[in-house]
Amino acid sequence: MAAKWIEALTGSLEQKKQYKGFRARLDALPEPYREVANAMHRYFMYYGGVTDGDTLVTMMGDLVELWERAAADGTPVRDIVGSDPVDFAETFALAYGGTQWIDKERSRLTKAVDDAERSQGS
Amino acid sequence: MGKQETEMLKGILEGVVLGVLSTRAAYGYEITAWLRDQGFSDIAEGTVYALLVRVEQRGLVDVEKVPSEKGPPRKVYTLNAQGHEYLTEFWRTWSFLTDRLEKLRTAQTDAAEDGVEEGEK
Repeated sequence: MAAKWIEALTGSLEQKKQYKGFRARLDALPEPYREVANAMHRYFMYYGGVTDGDTLVTMMGDLVELWERAAADGTPVRDIVGSDPVDFAETFALAYGGTQWIDKERSRLTKAVDDAERSQGS
Repeated sequence: MGKQETEMLKGILEGVVLGVLSTRAAYGYEITAWLRDQGFSDIAEGTVYALLVRVEQRGLVDVEKVPSEKGPPRKVYTLNAQGHEYLTEFWRTWSFLTDRLEKLRTAQTDAAEDGVEEGEK
C-alpha cells in the first residue's frame, strides 16, 4: 500500500532499479565502447524526450545490449554507428514510439489543420 | 556510399531486411554481413540493429534470445504473420514506384531524343 502510494509520486521503483542496472552495465563496458555508449545515452537525454518509464527502460536495455555485443565481438565503434553518429542516434531513438513531449504539440498542429479544413467547408 | 544512395536506402531498408527475414531467421550481424556481400558496403551494423529494434516494437518480427559463447545472448529474429503482411504491402508499393519511375525515365529519354532530332533539322 505504502509502496503504491510512493510510486504514484516517484514513478515505478522497479523501473528505477532496472534503469540503474542498465546504467551500471554501460559504465562497466570496456573502452572505447563505454565512452561512445555514454555519449549516445547523453544525447538521448536531450534529443529523445521520452517521458514514459517503460519506453525509457526498453530503450536503455537495447542500448546496453547493442554495446555489450559490440564489445564482445570487438566490432570497431565506427562500424556500429556509421559515418553519421547523430543520424544513427536519432534513428535509434525514433524506434521507440513511447510518449514524447512533442506528441502534445503534434496533435495540436493536426487539430489546427483539421479545424481550418472544416471552416473551409470541404 | 553516396549521399543520394544513403537517403534512398533509408526508405526501403526496412523492406529489404524483412525480405531477408522472410527467407530465414537471422540475428543482426548476419543481416549486416549479407547486405555488405550484396554490395551495400557502407551499411553500419548499428543501423540494422536500430531497424530490427523498430520492427520488433511494431510487432512485425518474433524474437528469440539464443545464448552465445561470449557476451550477451543474441537476438534471433523471425518474420511473423503481421510481418509477412507488411512485406507483401512493401513489395506492392515497390512495384508501383519502380513502374512509375521507369515510365518517367522513358518519357524523359524520349523527350530528350525528340529534342536532339529537332535540333538536327
